[in-house]
Amino acid sequence: MTRIQQVLFEVETPYCGHPYFVSGHALFNAVARRVDDAVARELCVSTGVFVPGEYGSLPESCSNSGFAGKVGTSLPAVETYSDLFLFRDAAQRWLLDSRPRDAHNVLDVQTHGGRQVFADKCWFGKPAAHRNNRRSVQWYVHAYLHTGRGAEDVLPVSEDVLDGVRVGGARNYGFGALSVADTQVVELDDLSYAQLTDCDAVLLDVVSPYVLGSEYPGADDQSVPWWWDVPDHGVRRRRSRLVVGDETYELTAVDHGQVVRYAGKDAMKTAKNGVLRVGTHAKYGFGELRVRPADTDRVPERADAVTGGDA
Amino acid sequence: MSQGSESDATRRSGVSDGAISSGGDGDSGSDGDTSEVAPLLAVYRHDTHKLRKRSHDAAADEFAGVRVNEDVPRGADADAALLSRPRGEPEQTVANHASPYRLSLRTGDTVVEDRVGAGEMDAAVRELVSIADAEVAHRAWLQCDVAACFNESVYYPYTSVKYHVLLAAALLSNYRAGAGFDELSFVVDDPDAAVTPHRTVFHSDRVSLRVTCEPGDRPAAALGQAPARSFADTWSRVPRRPAGVDPDEHRQWRILDAQLRRIRAWSTALQFLEDSLAAVEAAGSMGGVGGAGDAE
Repeated sequence: MTRIQQVLFEVETPYCGHPYFVSGHALFNAVARRVDDAVARELCVSTGVFVPGEYGSLPESCSNSGFAGKVGTSLPAVETYSDLFLFRDAAQRWLLDSRPRDAHNVLDVQTHGGRQVFADKCWFGKPAAHRNNRRSVQWYVHAYLHTGRGAEDVLPVSEDVLDGVRVGGARNYGFGALSVADTQVVELDDLSYAQLTDCDAVLLDVVSPYVLGSEYPGADDQSVPWWWDVPDHGVRRRRSRLVVGDETYELTAVDHGQVVRYAGKDAMKTAKNGVLRVGTHAKYGFGELRVRPADTDRVPERADAVTGGDA
Repeated sequence: MSQGSESDATRRSGVSDGAISSGGDGDSGSDGDTSEVAPLLAVYRHDTHKLRKRSHDAAADEFAGVRVNEDVPRGADADAALLSRPRGEPEQTVANHASPYRLSLRTGDTVVEDRVGAGEMDAAVRELVSIADAEVAHRAWLQCDVAACFNESVYYPYTSVKYHVLLAAALLSNYRAGAGFDELSFVVDDPDAAVTPHRTVFHSDRVSLRVTCEPGDRPAAALGQAPARSFADTWSRVPRRPAGVDPDEHRQWRILDAQLRRIRAWSTALQFLEDSLAAVEAAGSMGGVGGAGDAE
């Protein structure tokens, strides 16, 4: 049995860390110091994706589609494979058309002591002369935990352990405090993968960076996996850093967000492995992949427009 | 190509054909053909009513001595609109801002006073509209501060007329060259190289971006089967970032990159990019903006 524990954190104070997401390494270190060594050894942590707590409607591909009230504030039920990724796309496609979705989804940047940090909530409202009409959009972080393959089961990690972890820079000054808003355990083997079983070709979405090279002692360099059918122009790379104590290690990674064709044989197995992440530093959130039938679009509205449906 | 709404379809089959036939063989026309200047000029003038704070229904047909508010051929306007706005009947999305002045995603405020004084607005619009050469008009729009003050629609106040018009022009230019929407790519250009007439949709000292059916060997990402608000998706897939805002170089570019992965409306995203670059410019040197807190 392969289970993951989804955790939705509420961002309590401004966040001074990695701008794309809360890195799995940051989350791992925050959690690992609160559990005993045996648990820390087993624990694997995904990257945390920023999610706005806003009104939304769940897309068709979700098991419960339609208007769902405030969406980002709690974890929606997970019954199918695609449900796992509802919050893991930075574009947050469930946000309502009837509200300014891009304004809700852009992180508000503040400057503290010359550093650019992200606010924990964003205020929307009337001009100063009008009172009582402000509302805020609170930010959340979606991440999940699991254990190494075949290892003893340490899930679920208790909320007491997860509550109050701090991530990002300037933690000692109160930045990056997270509290637990919701948590649920998902059994990967029980999900429906029907979408994947009836298709000829699949694509791979790189959900979090895939590490190719690392300065970290003992970490081997990797090439782009053979089962990625990389387009002619190659894949975009980026540099990242892993900070361990006082040491900083440079990482070279395939940047997330890109799409490659799948040249492997067992898409279903890749799908499950992709949730648990592949490659070096997978324990710290790198190498998360999503498998998608090649005939579906990452942007459902585009497919709807082609078929004449209403987006 | 999208299935436009009823009115879009009418515009395509009716008026657009007339405009094209006056310019000769529109389907095989090239952009440099002077006999076809009229429709390309029309695309830069079709939203003049928005710059004059008037609704489409209350729009004048003539302004500053030239014909304005003409329909854009081949549905390019409707397709460009779909890149930034949902299809269907619009609803007001920001309760307290039913104004043609654009709201900035960076600050949440309108930008009018910062960019163009109220007194100069009319003169600036006149000057922009009365440009008689389509290529000159394209360059003027790329540099335009006035159009960046207005939104595409009062219902979607974070969108930008400036980038809507540039996207419409790029689509029209490509459609006229015989390409369908599904053949188009979003291309990262070298900002030192020349601007491609009508197809460059963003140009600054650091970043140059183009929508084209001829990406050549430049880094490019396909736009997909049909127009939709998909900027975040396209930006995520571009195989190289513009060198001027390389996220590996500085934290503020990582932040910009991260934000552009979240924004779905095209005109909103391109305007956000422009505003962010301007803010860096205004802040002077880049020192002091970064931090060590972004390590993974």
